[in-house]
Order: sequence, then C-alpha cells, then structure tokens
Amino acid sequence: MAETDDNPLKSDALHLDDFSVKQRPHQQAVPKYYGEALLAAARADTSILALTADLTAPTETDLVRDHLPDQFVMAGIAEANMVGVGAGLARAGFIPFVHSFSVFLSRRSFDQIAMQIAYPKTNVKLVGFMPGIDSLLGVSHQAIDDIALMRALPNMTILEPASPADYQDAVAAALAHEGPVYLRLYRATAPATPLDGVPPLQAGKIRCLHHGNDAAIFATGLMVEQALLAAEDLKAQSINASVIDCASIKPLDVEGIIDIISQSKSVVTAENHTIIGGLGSAIAEIMAGNNIARPFFRIGVQDCFAEGGSRPFLFGKYGLSAKDIAAAVKQGLAS
Amino acid sequence: MQTGNRTSLKQLRDTATLIRKDVIRMVARHGQGYVQQGLGAADLFTYLYFQELRFDTANLNWADRDRFILSTAHNTAVFYATLARAGLLDPETLTEYCLDGSSLEINASERLGPLVECTCGSLGQGLSVAAGLAMGSRRQQRDANICLMLGDGELEEGQVWEAAMFAATHKLSNLTMIIDLNYMQVEGDARDVAAIDPVDAKLESFGWQTIIIDGHDFEAMFASFAAARADTDRPSCIIAHTTPGKGVPFLEGQKSHNMVLPEDTAGDALQWLEADHG
Repeated sequence: MAETDDNPLKSDALHLDDFSVKQRPHQQAVPKYYGEALLAAARADTSILALTADLTAPTETDLVRDHLPDQFVMAGIAEANMVGVGAGLARAGFIPFVHSFSVFLSRRSFDQIAMQIAYPKTNVKLVGFMPGIDSLLGVSHQAIDDIALMRALPNMTILEPASPADYQDAVAAALAHEGPVYLRLYRATAPATPLDGVPPLQAGKIRCLHHGNDAAIFATGLMVEQALLAAEDLKAQSINASVIDCASIKPLDVEGIIDIISQSKSVVTAENHTIIGGLGSAIAEIMAGNNIARPFFRIGVQDCFAEGGSRPFLFGKYGLSAKDIAAAVKQGLAS
Repeated sequence: MQTGNRTSLKQLRDTATLIRKDVIRMVARHGQGYVQQGLGAADLFTYLYFQELRFDTANLNWADRDRFILSTAHNTAVFYATLARAGLLDPETLTEYCLDGSSLEINASERLGPLVECTCGSLGQGLSVAAGLAMGSRRQQRDANICLMLGDGELEEGQVWEAAMFAATHKLSNLTMIIDLNYMQVEGDARDVAAIDPVDAKLESFGWQTIIIDGHDFEAMFASFAAARADTDRPSCIIAHTTPGKGVPFLEGQKSHNMVLPEDTAGDALQWLEADHG
C-alpha cells in the first residue's frame, strides 16, 4: 500500500519525518536535542562543519543546513568518501561533524576511519544515529558491533549519552577533546532519563545515578533507562543495585569502576550492542586485569543478528529489557 | 619555495636522471622493490617538485603551501629521492629507506612529517582527503592547489568514484589529480584485470576536465598544469601515460609490481644513466 498523507498512523509508525525534508502537516514535530546542541556550537565556532550522507533530517543536521548553510556539506550517499573529506577538512583546520546512521559510519567506513581519522588523530567528530537494534529498518540498519569496532581503534574516544538531556554536554565534551570522537546517539521524543543533580557528562568519567551495595549495573545509552527501571523494581524486592552511567565507553573510568565493583556483590553490564567487544567486554577486561572476581552477567545482543521492530518488541525479544537486567542481578546474587 | 619561474627543460631532465639513479640505489640495497614505478614516475615527480608545487623548505607546515598526496603510497623510492633532491629531506636518510625503525617506510606514512599530507597505502582513500583539503582551502580563500597522484589500478576502488563525483559536485577546481597510467598492477596488465579504459571519458562524464599527456614530456606537463589552473569550474585530471622502467632501456616496459633487482642489473642501470647523462 502506498503511503499517503491521510494515513497518519502508518506515517507515524514509520517515522517518515526522518526521511522527508519537510514535516508533514499531521505529524508532531520531533524535538531535536542534538541538532540544537550542534547548531549552538556551530554558531559559536564557524570552523565547525556538519557533513551528512543524505540523512540530514534523521541526523538532525537540518538545523545547521537551514540556519548556517555555509557550514553544511551534503556528501551524498557515499559514507567512505564523506569520512575522507572530513579528514581533509580537519587537516585544513576545520572541525567536521560527520553524520550518518551508526551502522553505515562504522561498518562501511571502518578502514577510512582507521587510516584517515584514528591513526592521524584528525579532529573529526563522527556522529552515528540509530545505534544497536533500536530500529524498524531491520538488520541492515542495526549497529550491533559499532562500539566493538570503534573501541578497537587506537586514539578513538567513544561517548554514548544516556539521554538527550546529555546531548549538549556530549557535544561540548567532543569539542573539548581535540581528536577523533565517536558520538553514539538516538533520536528521542523526550529526555526520558532524568539527570537532575548528576554532574555533566565528561569523557573518562562514570556517573552513579542510583546507589546500592548489592549489585552494580553498568549501562550505556538507551540501556541506562532500562537499568534504572530494573533498579526500581529490585528495590521493591529489597535488593539495592547501583546504576552507573558509562557514557564514556572509551576512555573508561577504570578507577571509578573498580571502586564501585569493590563495594558490590555482583556485576551486570547492559548495552544496546552485541555482548562481544562492547561495554560488557570492557568491564570484564578491567575485572580480569585487576584480579577482581564477582558474579558477572552481560545484558546485550547475544551474538546474533536481529530484525526490524519497535523498541519494546526488540528489547523484549533480544533480552535487553529492564526485566532481563533485574533477572540477571538476582541470578548474580543467588550464585 | 618555488617562484613560478620556468625551470629549464635541461635542468628538469638532468634532475630526473639524478632521481632515477637514487631510485636504483635505494631499491638495489634490498634487491627488490618498486623500481619500475619509480623510474616510470620520475619525470612527473621532478616536474611537481621542481616546477609546479609551491612550498617553503624552511617551513614545511606553511599554511598556504600546495598540497601533494601520494595515493599510491608505495611508490616511495622516487618520492623520497625527489624530496631529497628538492631540499626537503636530508639526502643521507635515503640510505635508511625501508630499514627497521626508519620513517622512510615502503608505504609513505606521516611518521615522516608534514611532507606526507595523509597516510594512504589503503588504496582509494587519497582523493577523498584531497577533496576535503581542496574544499577547506577554498573556504579559507587560499590560492593553494591540491595535487594528488593515483595509479591506474587504484581506479578499481569504488571510493575513487565517490570522491570524483563529490569533487565535481562542489566544483573543486583547485584540485588536480594525476593518474600515473602504466597499466601495471600486481596481477599484470590493468586492462586484463578490469575495464578501466577509457579513463578520460569516464572522468569527463563525472564532470572533470581531463588532459592526456605523455608522462615523460615536460613541455606537455607545463601545458597540462596550465590548463588545470585555467579551469575555474571543474577539478582536473592529468592522465599521464608512463613507461615502467623509463630511462634504462633494458628495464623499459618490463611490467613488474615489486621487481627483483639483482646487484649486477642495478650496476648496469646506474652505468647506463651515468653514461647517458653524466
């Protein structure tokens, strides 16, 4: 069935605003937390450029395109070239923010990122949207391995904010680091995870969002919200779990993580990513390298490809829900 | 720094001969290497560094310098020899070529410093970075030119064509690509590996100005670079037909990507180059 403007249900379900230049009349505007943050930064520093590969609205770079057209570069559907162009612009003294979906940036442009950004430490900010399995668009669009890929690259900083409330600080942190940064972002309709009273996101720092000595849940990105829900549920069962936001996946706050684990009876990690090579692996490396033994569970995609679907469906089916996190905590405490 | 004055043809030829001798000596130390490509591209490199490129030997990071990117990053014997002859590299260091720990690696890396504008070697990437540099240079209203050299085999990489489309879309007329067209790649004749011809028609259809020259004809190089500078609407590609092993008759035309160069052959080649040009 052809999509039509008089079929709002279908249009909304497919988030068509992401794929059309103009908002459709019946659609609610999606807030652009990242787009606003980038626009503000680009207004303040004219050397900031926004590059995108035919995904302007879905990466919220339409704000720079419309308000600062001289600082916007359309690169076409050619991510590998876009990454190289970004490196060249950085070498000329600009600060390019290079945008696409996480999956295309990381998989398709990996060699270009390695040789033209990570190795020479060019001041390029890679911004990937739609991370992990959180997509209706299916396996081709699901970045389940981007953290593992980027983490393996020397000189790469990886930031995955828990909430759009963090996006402004994430952009600031990316700019504060002169060198390669990978921002792993999702588009949100509201700042779901409240971050009132916690310090701003910083590279190399964890943030404890919920305190408890029974178990430690280390989470990143969308999984922080699930971890907090799990902690609430556990609290009702008299189990006190810490929830630690690991927005800075690289560099990791090794000292802070060891400190938390040493006070906890069991450890659970949660990421919207394969359990191989991501946050869970990084925490396991810290524990093994520092001779710390605890019951340990990794919540994430269990070494498989997924499928397109809604977030609740996919998180439920692939074991990424608050329920799965709570079950892992209980299993850890029982062992 | 180049002054824009025209270097004499004799001076260019003599310099190219000296560079060819350096290439033979550098590869001969290892008994094998990129000698055929080096001899083939010696005239192009001589022209670039002794006539075309604007740089400051006292300040290699000069912001308004012309940029040169060697996308075929393995063709380093001739690259390093040229840099040394142009006063950009200590000639003594040429003896360290490809030795453990040396910054004169077989694939040029930016461990060498600003003379390597970006680390290529993974083929297909140079043109994208050059396009970014050209766009950046133009935004900063610099009159610097961005030059890069590609091999013909490299045209088989898809990214080259992504970048070619991008450069034309953005009318990067300060970008000049030289294709060292010798139809030689690891597997043999490039035309047997992939249908790379006609290179000029392909690039023209992508929106580039193309100029075909004999890659050993300095007069043609003067004219082609002048034409590249004159086109203010399109990026330009100089398609330079080169002969592997050029300058040493018994090596000329031998297509070998990483040729064995026994000591006696190297000695004969040096003798020939000495006798021919003194």
